[in-house]
Amino acid sequence: MKQHLGRQSGVQSVEVSLIDGKVEITPKEDEQIDPTQLLKATYDSGVTAAEMDMTARGKVVKDESGNLALQIAPNRSFALVPNELSKGLESLADPATLITIRGQLYKKPPGKKQKVDTAIPLKLMILEVEKKE
Amino acid sequence: MNKKIALLLLLGSTFAPVVQAQIKHIEMRVEGMT
Repeated sequence: MKQHLGRQSGVQSVEVSLIDGKVEITPKEDEQIDPTQLLKATYDSGVTAAEMDMTARGKVVKDESGNLALQIAPNRSFALVPNELSKGLESLADPATLITIRGQLYKKPPGKKQKVDTAIPLKLMILEVEKKE
Repeated sequence: MNKKIALLLLLGSTFAPVVQAQIKHIEMRVEGMT
């Protein structure tokens, strides 16, 4: 699995802890990685992703429906799951403010081994707002 | 000339935050690892 993930575009390093089943992925500086592809690569390597957390820096934007999203590239953004922390970000929805967020992108539904549906866009549930710039 | 410089500054300020934006770290918990 480590080699499989390490071959994905933009991945700098992969650290695997067999004891607690944790996998830490560090992206290359100034390159973008695709969390959906990482989930798919994990499944393809024969293990099941139970959870995926992400720390990302980006700007808060509103989509066509007025929902908040974290934009991390001109063509890539993650819709924010509404919660108390996301409500606090509404006032920061402007192009000048960068924020760093830690949040949950994926949690496996209860049940048996299940393939990640890559057709469904991942949504980011904010766990912590680390920095506002 | 001044117009070109102003346009470059405007574009730079618009796109700079997105250039700095990035996924910094990803952590997964996996099951079925041997």
